[in-house]
Amino acid sequence: MANPDVLGKVGKRVALLGNEAIVRGALEAGMGFSACYPGTPSSEVGLTFADIAKQSGFYFEWSTNEKVAFEACTGAAFCGVRALTALKHFGLNVACDSIFPIAYVGVHGGLVINVADDPMGHSSGQSEEDSRRFARIGNMPMLEPANLQECRDFTKLAFEMSEKYEIPVFLRTTTMVAHSVGTIRLGKIRKPKTKGRFVKDYMRYYCITPVIQKMHENVLKKLDMIEKDYECLNRTEGDLGSRTGILALGVSYQYIKELGLKGVKIGKLGLSYPISRKFVSNFIKNLETIIVLEELEPIVEDFVREIAKDVNPKLKIYGKNILPRVGEFSTEMIRERIAPVIGIKKKDFSRQEAELKKMKLPTRKAVLCPGCPHRSTFYAVREALGENVVWAGDIGCYIIGIFEPFKMQDFVIAMGASLGITHGIKKVSEQKVVAFMGDSTFFHAGMAGLVNLKYNDPKVLVVIMDNSITAMTGHQPHPGTGYNAIGEKKEAIKIEDVVRSFGITNIRIVNAFNQKEIQAAVKELDAKPGVSVLISRGMCRLLLNRILKRKGQKFPVFEIMQSERRDLSRLDRFACPAIIKDGSKYRIDPEVCWGCSVCSQIAPAGAIKPKVPTKKEAEG
Amino acid sequence: MTFNVLVTGVGGEGVLFTSVIITRAANIEGHELRGTQLHGLAQRGGQIPTHIRFGKEDVFSPTIPRGEADLIIGMEPVEAARYCYFADRERTSFVVDTYPIIPVYTMLLGEKYPSMDEIKAMIRPFAKKAVFADASHICKEKLGDPVYGNAMIVGIAISCGMLPLKKSSVEEVLKQTSGKYAESNLNALRLGLEYRE
Repeated sequence: MANPDVLGKVGKRVALLGNEAIVRGALEAGMGFSACYPGTPSSEVGLTFADIAKQSGFYFEWSTNEKVAFEACTGAAFCGVRALTALKHFGLNVACDSIFPIAYVGVHGGLVINVADDPMGHSSGQSEEDSRRFARIGNMPMLEPANLQECRDFTKLAFEMSEKYEIPVFLRTTTMVAHSVGTIRLGKIRKPKTKGRFVKDYMRYYCITPVIQKMHENVLKKLDMIEKDYECLNRTEGDLGSRTGILALGVSYQYIKELGLKGVKIGKLGLSYPISRKFVSNFIKNLETIIVLEELEPIVEDFVREIAKDVNPKLKIYGKNILPRVGEFSTEMIRERIAPVIGIKKKDFSRQEAELKKMKLPTRKAVLCPGCPHRSTFYAVREALGENVVWAGDIGCYIIGIFEPFKMQDFVIAMGASLGITHGIKKVSEQKVVAFMGDSTFFHAGMAGLVNLKYNDPKVLVVIMDNSITAMTGHQPHPGTGYNAIGEKKEAIKIEDVVRSFGITNIRIVNAFNQKEIQAAVKELDAKPGVSVLISRGMCRLLLNRILKRKGQKFPVFEIMQSERRDLSRLDRFACPAIIKDGSKYRIDPEVCWGCSVCSQIAPAGAIKPKVPTKKEAEG
Repeated sequence: MTFNVLVTGVGGEGVLFTSVIITRAANIEGHELRGTQLHGLAQRGGQIPTHIRFGKEDVFSPTIPRGEADLIIGMEPVEAARYCYFADRERTSFVVDTYPIIPVYTMLLGEKYPSMDEIKAMIRPFAKKAVFADASHICKEKLGDPVYGNAMIVGIAISCGMLPLKKSSVEEVLKQTSGKYAESNLNALRLGLEYRE
């Protein structure tokens, strides 16, 4: 459940997560509508909205994908209702098709797009995309909070800006802002305005020639005004007379403040687009040296170079020539890289380095949970088809199938991409291809790819791994689950009905925890021509565990019958975290086992059995 | 002066819960706070350190600078060693739950999971003081579930003078956050406060 402090009383000082502070900002701004598709590091914005929507009186939904979510928010904003969507960098790519034209036509109610980038790929992956470029492509302002306080304040500001200039506004965070913790004093929550009206306005909402040139011009004018009107979001601190300046934004500003440098002037930007020419000109005018601190792309740095040509051509500019364009910054990295430029000492960590080098620690990578239905499906498909198959991967917990012992995701590109790429491979190669896709991904971006596959009908097996939830981002419902974001019952849209409606007749639905059933179905479908779909259905074990816990129930635990002395080496190819191997001996950790029973189906008959509870356990 | 706590462990062990206890208790005591809580893929059996920094003056970086941790809480022994990067023997205390969670990859990649003595030897050069406690086991035996090890570890850190927070504020947070598990968590905290090596 949501952190109750998000709804705390005005004036209370609370500790929140960056994403929760964004939620609070939206509440204080009277937001009436939100629609999202989960994507970490932004997922907790929607998760928190879902938990509080009912009692706070605004509308929230988990939409089928980011484009649909943004469009829904736009509809609300067309009618004068304040709306916000939160997405991750790759979610922004999905939504962009609709976002760019909305910048031209504009909105009535404030429309805010919270995009969370993930330099370092802590919690997502795909690429270290810098979404600040999108603000420039799409001609929309972008606010960039550096800390908790600003997450809340800039969210409120984004709504005001959006309404004042009738333009969607980006609120950009990175993982270290979205997932940072801090304290803020709460402001007043405004009653959400949830009802509005679409007022017809001929030619206002069309992006067609010849109006688009006029609209383009208009949007550029808005950006000019925003650049001037919001100059106050930038500030200068530190030694104002210094000839050395450091210009920072986002979390980089927090790092440079942490260093507590003396004798330098520090500039902080609040808007990463448009950047104020006047502010930057004044900031660099009397400097000899400037260091620009920004993670990822040299966007502010390029802007400084452009302005310095006229204002201060002799200025020595440091940025990506001393700091990396890849990954995240940290306090010590910044100290080390800027030390030679500003003449401070580096810290000596040579003794620690030597000790760290001596350590030999076992690898720990992400692993499928004990009892995960995906592990069982991967195992069965490989048993049925062998390893000489091209395994098309997609986005979801099952990307962990990349790792040993499965290595059954030969490529993982983007939501739904497994099917389009599979199609291309099949048209130029005779190789066998099996595509894996999750249930939420199927609704998000899988359907169009599947229609294209079916229409062209290469021989392909598509395995839909249906764990009845969007698991990786924290258990969000989707149209297949039969309930919505706020827990209301809905009529579930069955994946098999959708697949059948495309004219696909080779469909088998199996229990993801039944090895025999899955293996038989895979072999049967493999013998058929054209597109086949296997739906391997079994609830996410993490979710089921939570449901059982609420009811005060527990999974049965399995144990290895040591007296049997059977060959259990097949378990190595199953890799369940509950199964521990000491030398050549196997045992099951009862604290970790979540009773899926699949290991007992893989092992020789009778070698693994449900554990009979001891008298004490049965009573406890 | 900022006090820096790093909580390390394996996804699903309650690393986030432990950091929430400390974060909220520090807030109750009126501290300025910053920190990080990473979510997502790391939760699936991976490693997820969280940073908590608090003090009476403003704190800036959400992450602890290298070598500046005052306390490293290791919910899993190897993960405590893995984050010695943030430790310094002049400054850092360790409280480590000795219950090992052996990665499946140890078997798959033919690696070796080090012995407890080896892990202690790795941590000692980075530690001003280190307490190794079998908290998960003790909580399993006395309270029926190893998950209460989180609250017990916090109790140990307080009673050993390694965490400058009041017992009463931690109790208040446990009552607020753990619903029907509050009593067991309070008992676990007590086990920690009474713990002697």
